[in-house]
Amino acid sequence: MHPQALITGERGTAGTLVVVFLRGAADGLALVAPWSDPHHARARPRLRAPEQAELRLDDRFALHPRLAPLLGAWREGELAVVHACGMAEDTRSHFEAQDLMEHGGVTAGGWLGRFLRTRPAAAHGGLAGVAIGRALPECLLGAPGAAVLERLEDFALGGAQPAWRSQLERLYAMQQGRLGASARDTFLALRRVEEIRRQPPVAAAGAAYGRDDFSAGLARLAQLLKADVGVEAAAIDLPGWDSHFAQEGQVERLSDRLATGLAAFRRDLGARWATTTVVVMTEFGRTVEENSAFGTDHGRGGAMFVLGGRVRGGQVVGAWKGLHPDVLEPRGFLEGYGDLPVLNNYRDVLGPVLAAHGATKADLATVFPGHRPASLPVMRG
Amino acid sequence: MAFATWGDSAEGRVSVSRRQFLAAGAGVVGASAVRADGWPDELRRWLGRPAPPTLPGDLTPPVGERPDLAGHVLGRLTFGARPGDHARVSRIGVDAFIAEQLAPEGIRDDECARLLRHECDELADPRSSLLGGAGPGGVGELYEYKDKVLLAQLTRATLLRAVRSERQLLEVMTAFWTDHFNVDPSKGEARWLKVVEDRDVIRAHALGRFPELLRAATLGPAMLWYLDGRVNRRAAPGERPNENHARELLELHTLGVHGGYTQEDVEQVARGLSGWTVRDRRRFGRGRVEFDAGRHDDGPKRVLGRELPAGRGAEDLTAILDLLALHPSTARHLAEKLCRRFVADEPPVRIVERVAAAYLEARGGIRETLAALFAAEEFRDPACRGVKFKRPFHLVVSALRATAAETDAGPALVEHLLRMGHAPFRHATPEGYPEAAHHWESGLLWRWNFALALADGRIRGTRIDVARLRDRLGGEEALMASVLGRRPEAEEQSACAASGGGLALLLASPAFQWT
Repeated sequence: MHPQALITGERGTAGTLVVVFLRGAADGLALVAPWSDPHHARARPRLRAPEQAELRLDDRFALHPRLAPLLGAWREGELAVVHACGMAEDTRSHFEAQDLMEHGGVTAGGWLGRFLRTRPAAAHGGLAGVAIGRALPECLLGAPGAAVLERLEDFALGGAQPAWRSQLERLYAMQQGRLGASARDTFLALRRVEEIRRQPPVAAAGAAYGRDDFSAGLARLAQLLKADVGVEAAAIDLPGWDSHFAQEGQVERLSDRLATGLAAFRRDLGARWATTTVVVMTEFGRTVEENSAFGTDHGRGGAMFVLGGRVRGGQVVGAWKGLHPDVLEPRGFLEGYGDLPVLNNYRDVLGPVLAAHGATKADLATVFPGHRPASLPVMRG
Repeated sequence: MAFATWGDSAEGRVSVSRRQFLAAGAGVVGASAVRADGWPDELRRWLGRPAPPTLPGDLTPPVGERPDLAGHVLGRLTFGARPGDHARVSRIGVDAFIAEQLAPEGIRDDECARLLRHECDELADPRSSLLGGAGPGGVGELYEYKDKVLLAQLTRATLLRAVRSERQLLEVMTAFWTDHFNVDPSKGEARWLKVVEDRDVIRAHALGRFPELLRAATLGPAMLWYLDGRVNRRAAPGERPNENHARELLELHTLGVHGGYTQEDVEQVARGLSGWTVRDRRRFGRGRVEFDAGRHDDGPKRVLGRELPAGRGAEDLTAILDLLALHPSTARHLAEKLCRRFVADEPPVRIVERVAAAYLEARGGIRETLAALFAAEEFRDPACRGVKFKRPFHLVVSALRATAAETDAGPALVEHLLRMGHAPFRHATPEGYPEAAHHWESGLLWRWNFALALADGRIRGTRIDVARLRDRLGGEEALMASVLGRRPEAEEQSACAASGGGLALLLASPAFQWT
C-alpha cells in the first residue's frame, strides 16, 4: 500500500486524545485554590491564594495566576476542572500511584494502550499512540502502535543504506513478542515521518509557544496532528511538581509552562481542536497544610483538567466538600489538618472522555476492568 | 603536540590510521601499531592516553549454537564480553571467574587506572584533595570546580570504568546501587556533592555490607540535598516534618513499597531523621554532614512497632537503620531487585527466597549474597540465558567491549545515551532507572543509530578497527561469534553479508540486545 493511503485512510473521525501527566504530584490546591474557604488561608498561612477577581472560576475556586492563559478556554466553555480527584487506593508513593493511575488500576498494560487496542484502525498504525519524550510512559504500555518521539527530525535512521535497513527489518521480522512488535512500529513510524518531513507544517498564527521542553513537545505534536498521520492518543509529561520545599516559585514556573503550552497548542490546532481533547492529570494531590519548609507533602485528592472542542467546560465538575477539618481524611496521628479526600475517581473523568473518542460501554470495561463507572459530566452530547 | 587535539579531529585520524594499517599490512598483527602522532599504542597505554585495549593471546570464539555457561556468566557479571574473555573463562572455569570478580581488590587494573588518571584528572585519584581525601566530612576543593565539569567528569569516569575496568562486577554493582540510592545531581548542591557520594558511599560499599552502605547513603551529602533531608527539622507546634526522605528510605531503600510500613511509620522516621543536615554555602565547612541536636525532634517514637525512648538524639537514626537494614522485608526487596538484575525480569520465587535467606544469614554482606545468587541453579539454568534485555548503558558498553573500541567516553558517546534515555546520573526521580525490558523496548531506533554510528566511526573520540579485529579473530564468522557469544545463525550471516554494513547490523540485531 502507498504510505499516503495508510496515513490518511479511515482515520481522523474520532479525533485525538492528549494526556498530560504532571509528574511528582501537583498541588491541586495551588492550581485551583478554594479562595472563599477560610480553612485554606488557615492551613497555608505562608502560601497565598490568588486574590485577583478575574482568576475566579466561580464562588468557590480561583485559578493560579500563572494559569491565566487558560482563562480563554474556560470562558469559551472548553475547559472543565475536577477537584478532589484521584484514586481510591490510599498510596502516597509517587511510583506506585503513577503506576496504578497509568495502568488504570491493578492491571497489566496501560489504560491508553488498552483503549488503543479497542480501536479498529489502531492496529495499522505505528503512530496511533505517540509519546513525546524519551521513553514510553506506562499508560501507553500494550498499545498496538506506539512511537516515542523527541524531535521530528530525529526520527530517522542516520546513514543507513536501503540494503542495510531492509536486512535489519528482515531480522526483526523474525522476532516474536514485544520486541518484534516494537520494531514493526518503529519501521512504520519511520516511513510516516519521512512523508511528513517532505511537507513540513508550521505553527498557526497567534500560537505563542514557550521556549521550554513542554511547549516544544506540544508544538511537535501539533505538527503530527495537522499532518493527519493517524495519531489517536498522545502522552506528554510535565515533570517536577514534587514541591516539598519552598514551593511557590516552583509551582509558578511549572504552571506558566503548562498554561502557555496548552493555550498555544489550542490555537495552533485550528479546526482540529474541535476533535481534540486534552486531559491533565497527576498521581495525587498534596497536603492541605503547608510544611515547615514552605512546601507541601504527599496528600490525596488533587485537581484534573479537561480541555477540548467537545468538553462541557466553564464549570468545576464533581463533588466538593470544602476544607473543614471534619470533612478531611485523617492523616497519620500527627495533629492538624487531614488530607483532601478523593471524592471523584480519575477513571470517572477518563471514561466519558474515552466515550467521546469512540469507546463503547464494552470497551470501557476493557480499559478499566473491575471499575464501576460513575461518569462525571465533563463532555458534551 | 598531536595528542592534545585528540577528539577534535577523530574522523581525520581514523582515516589516517586505517591507511597506515593497510600500508603496514597483516604482517604487523600482534606487534604494536604506530599512530598518526607517532606514538605506539603500548606507549599510549602506558601513559594512559586513549588507545585500543590489549587483546589477549587466545581469542578462540564461542562455538555453541546457544550461549554456554561461560558466556552467560560473562553476560551477567560484566558489561559484556571482550574478544578473548570467553576463552579465558572457559579455561579457568566459571566458578574461579566468579570468585575473582567477587574479590576486586585482588584484580590488577593498571591500564584502566592510568586511563582514568589521564582522562579525568584528579577525580580518579582516591587520595585527591579535590574530594577531601584527608578523611570523612570534608569535601576538599570540590566547590572550586564548575558543577557541569564535575558531572561530565563523573559521567566519563563511570563510562570508562564500565568499558575498561577488569573489576567488572564492581562496576555492575556500582551501577546497581547508583540506581537503588538514586540522586539526580541537578538539585541544589548535589551538583558538587554527588561526586563525593559516588566515591565514598556507592563505590566504597558496592561489594561491602548493606547496613554500612545504607547508613552512608542515608547520610550522604547529596542525598540530604536531593530528598530535602537537610531542611528537615523539629516541627514547631502545628507543623509537620518533611517526609520526603523518610518515605523513600522505607519504600525504595529498604522495606519496599509493600514491606509492611504505614503512614505513621513514615512520620515517625521523618522525626527520627530530623536534625541531620549538610552545611551549605552560607556556612563554613560547606558540604559537611552533621547532626544538629537543636533541630532534632527528641521525643519518644514508635517505628515498625518498636518503641524508641525520648532523649536519644543522633542514636534515633542508628536505631531506625538497625531495624530496617536486616528486616526480612528489606532482605526480600533487595533479593528481588538483585535477581531481576542478574537472573530475569520475573525471577523464579525460589531463587529470590534463597538469596534473601543468604542476605540475612550474612548479616547484609553483599558478596555472600551475590555468591549465593551466582551459585543457585536457577541462575545457571539454560532457560535463564539470553533473557535479559540490555538497558541502553549496558548495550553501549557491551558494544564497545565486544569491538575492542578505543574511547575517550566523551560527550559524543554520552549524547547517544541521552537519546536512549539512560545517561548516568540523569534520572530525576528517586527510584532510579528501571530494570525490566518493557521500559526499554520502544527505544530501538536510537540503538540502531548508535550501532551505525559506532561501526561507521561517526562517534567523536571513539573508534574501532574492524579489520584488525577480524584478522586477529580469524575471519568474519569468528568475529560474529565473538560478538554474539555463540555461533551466528545462517539468517544472521546472510543478512550481514547482504547489508553492506555487517558489524553495524550485528550490533543492531535482535540478538545483541539481549544477554
